[in-house]
Amino acid sequence: MNRYPRWPIHLALVVVSGVMLVPFYWVLKTSVSGENIYAYPPSIVPARIHPFFYVDVWYAIPFARYLMNSVVVSAIAVAGNVVFNAMAGYALTHGFRGKGFVVLLFLTCMMVPFQATIIPAYLITGRLGLLDSWLGLALPQCSTIICIFVFKASFDAVPRSLIDAARIDGLSEWRIIWHVMMPLSKSAIATNVILAFIWSWNNFLWPLIMTRTADMQTLPLGLARFLSYQEDTTGALYAFCIMVLAPGLLLFLMAQKEFMRGLTSGAVKG
Amino acid sequence: MKRRTVVKGALAGTGMLAAPAYLRAQSAKKLSVLTWNIADQAELFKVEFGEFKAAHPGVEIEWLDKKGPDLPAFYQTQIVAGTPPDIVDIQGALWVEYAANGGLVDLTPYLQKEPDVAKRFNPDYLNGWVYKGKTYLLPFYVAKTLLYCNKTMFKEAGLAGPPQSFDELIGFSDKMAKGEKTGFLTLNFDWLYWPLFKMNGVELLSPDGKKAAFNTQATAELLARFAKSTASGGINKIAWTGRWVEPNGAFASGTVGMLHAHSASYFFVKGQGPWINADTLGAAQLPGFWSTPTNHGFAISKGSKNPDLAWEFIKFMTSDKSASAFFKTRSVLTANVAADKEGLASLQKTEPLAAAVLQTQIEHTDKLTGNWPLPYDAGLKDAFWPEIQNAVLGRKEPKQALADAERAVNRLLARKA
Amino acid sequence: MAGVWRVRRQRTRLALLLWCFLAPSLAIFLLYRVIPVIWNLVLSFQYWSPLKPAEPAGLDHYEDLLYDDVFWQALWNTLIVIASAPIGIVLALVLALLVNAEIRGRDAYRTIIFTSYPLMTVAVAIIWRWMFDERVGLLNYAARSLHLIDTPIPFLNSFTWALPCVIVANIWQMLGFYMIILLTGLQNIPHELHEAAAIDGASAAGRFRRITLPLLRPSIFLAFVIGMLNSVTSFDLVYVMTGGGPGRATEILVTYIYKLGFNQTKFDDAAAVTVVFFVLLVATTWGANRFAGGEAGAAETE
Repeated sequence: MNRYPRWPIHLALVVVSGVMLVPFYWVLKTSVSGENIYAYPPSIVPARIHPFFYVDVWYAIPFARYLMNSVVVSAIAVAGNVVFNAMAGYALTHGFRGKGFVVLLFLTCMMVPFQATIIPAYLITGRLGLLDSWLGLALPQCSTIICIFVFKASFDAVPRSLIDAARIDGLSEWRIIWHVMMPLSKSAIATNVILAFIWSWNNFLWPLIMTRTADMQTLPLGLARFLSYQEDTTGALYAFCIMVLAPGLLLFLMAQKEFMRGLTSGAVKG
Repeated sequence: MKRRTVVKGALAGTGMLAAPAYLRAQSAKKLSVLTWNIADQAELFKVEFGEFKAAHPGVEIEWLDKKGPDLPAFYQTQIVAGTPPDIVDIQGALWVEYAANGGLVDLTPYLQKEPDVAKRFNPDYLNGWVYKGKTYLLPFYVAKTLLYCNKTMFKEAGLAGPPQSFDELIGFSDKMAKGEKTGFLTLNFDWLYWPLFKMNGVELLSPDGKKAAFNTQATAELLARFAKSTASGGINKIAWTGRWVEPNGAFASGTVGMLHAHSASYFFVKGQGPWINADTLGAAQLPGFWSTPTNHGFAISKGSKNPDLAWEFIKFMTSDKSASAFFKTRSVLTANVAADKEGLASLQKTEPLAAAVLQTQIEHTDKLTGNWPLPYDAGLKDAFWPEIQNAVLGRKEPKQALADAERAVNRLLARKA
Repeated sequence: MAGVWRVRRQRTRLALLLWCFLAPSLAIFLLYRVIPVIWNLVLSFQYWSPLKPAEPAGLDHYEDLLYDDVFWQALWNTLIVIASAPIGIVLALVLALLVNAEIRGRDAYRTIIFTSYPLMTVAVAIIWRWMFDERVGLLNYAARSLHLIDTPIPFLNSFTWALPCVIVANIWQMLGFYMIILLTGLQNIPHELHEAAAIDGASAAGRFRRITLPLLRPSIFLAFVIGMLNSVTSFDLVYVMTGGGPGRATEILVTYIYKLGFNQTKFDDAAAVTVVFFVLLVATTWGANRFAGGEAGAAETE
């Protein structure tokens, strides 16, 4: 293959990684030391380290309950995304009357900012009888247009010969999706899972509007508890942020292996 | 065969997930209370709610608390959906918009039936919640602006005590400005800066409220003075550009001579500034004694199904006993005269500096300003304030800025006519 | 003859099936995007507030917008934000190319760069607000320690610096995300094409221009659209970092919509702004689509 020096690439990536990590370092540092970030000059190395803020977070809010709510809601959203988006993406690989309209509709739907839809979305959810419920929290996020196109792109890359062979074998369209397309689209699935999870996990405004009982609140809503009356940004706040961040990151770490495996197998199949 | 079971399972699962978390069946009486960012009072409220429930058996209380920026979004959505919380704690001038739209229950008949309730409160504060002759809220907790003085900086500049006039205010600021140090800071949200204008005789609107009245030569000169002092460092720029954390933080760092803010700032500043104690911090009134209040009050939503019970509740929460307990846990004024007197007395013994700060809150309550019961208060702020910012930061000539502001304000008022 | 009918029946059956596949997604978008847009559209032609019946308003709200300085400022800011989306994408493309190279530890780099994305936007806003702080912020501290400047720069209090700072924070958060999209696109380009071109004597730059870029077009288009949408709807970021200030320097249309609706109870005005905003986004996407060659940039590889 090509011989080119590796070290400039490493250097550039190290610099970029540094830039990306510096704010993180500060969040992490404050979460374990509780130093006032408004003290001057800022200290690079924390003086005393203790994990008590993490304990604080656990007890200050009903963390376990919120965590469960977030997990259930995100699980529903991820499942919905994978299933519905694969179906829609597959449909879009065919040509049919009205396809252009559907694509246009999808693209236009992306242009609707959530803040402008709060009230009608709430009223509709109310009509459906889904207020203050897990399904109601997850429903608006059970399908996303970006991920539909990710699936479509992935399905487009599956060679026709495979599909034709499957059809000759008598497989229905539905089974083609699940037995032919999906196994070859691991990266698209991984992308869907990661994105759908992150978006539903971090969603703040919708659960805020939607839930009345404290029992149904999701994890990000606990944030308000730490942005105290006087906007004191403390160790507890950052510990909370780290705790909310952790699952999404873990999921990425896990799914990224699938991502890599799916890609290498794709290259081999050639 | 397999598909059918999958489908059945999916339907069953959906049904389970769709079930709402709370029982739909209405209990005998249920009150929902929405408060503005006081989740830290959970302990106190548990006790108080328990007392109320004991006095009114069969009543359930649902307590919701939202942070300031989130509360309007939540509350309005609930109104549109027809399920507003019975009682809502509102800050600042937002209540007027709701009242003007018919969203709040008029409390005047209740107060007329029970005149003792009105007598509990400081009348100046209570009158802040009157719109078109009707009272809509009962005081929950109140604060108004005062002048904090960094005594150390005063001493360094050779200044004796707090300024006694506007000229002295500007003069002292300029004197204390040196290098990184500045002389004066003010908070600027919610008309908190308005006493600086009022003390110089500026009126915002004409008496009938139909036209802008601030575009005068005197105001232009005032803005010019502000601009000059800001440019030279006498007035810290953050006074005009900061929100909450920046101005309070700057004062807490000990490099600002005077801070014009309300009593809530005291606790934030004290937390951030280890140098603060009775010798280094002074609490005074602004020269001329004008101040802008930032108040929280209890209102009853029009959509409430139990307005009478809601009235009982807010009566209870603002009673001498409850208000007193609240004062003690939060160290904030409640506008309940008896509770405040008692609270101040005990605070005097434990934290005299805090008591001195809160003392300013009950003085000169006849000189409250910057608190207009106008339903388009937010729009008015938006039309007026940016131009003032332009003028004092030197981006526009004062005369030009005032003319632009007048145009914007008049257009707003004309639309509302 | 019967064969033709069978084929046609099969085709209609297929079409029906395809619509069934599309149905769940379409239903969700109908409920949560299409209907709200229509609600806003209808509302923008009425006078309405939550407890009063609606009255027709004709074009009054739109006329008000013409004279509304805040609206124009927010519109201008939104356009600037849209124009800044390519910056993030170019950076991400460079990163994707670097990470795609055959180097050790690229998994680690990829993970590190992506870490910023799952962080709650509110947290991003808080930490960047601190970093830009004039008094105690890291950036000012670093610059002063390195003697680059004498007096601190009031990043978020300055009318000129505030919006760029918000954009920087947004790019920081999104960089990993764009990179993943572009990386997926890069890794979908078959190696053989590159190898064949290299054998034919094409330079690295030439290969990039002739092979990589065209095949990457759908991914770039996707990244641009997502980037643009994300930045102009980054309500949390703007609201927590600057609140739209100083003055209106960082006010974007989406924060203005929120403030009009929920702070000023003027949902009808907010609806008018929403409609304008929606049209703006559609127009921009359409323009980008044309620029990328139509069909959402999907190159016909057949």
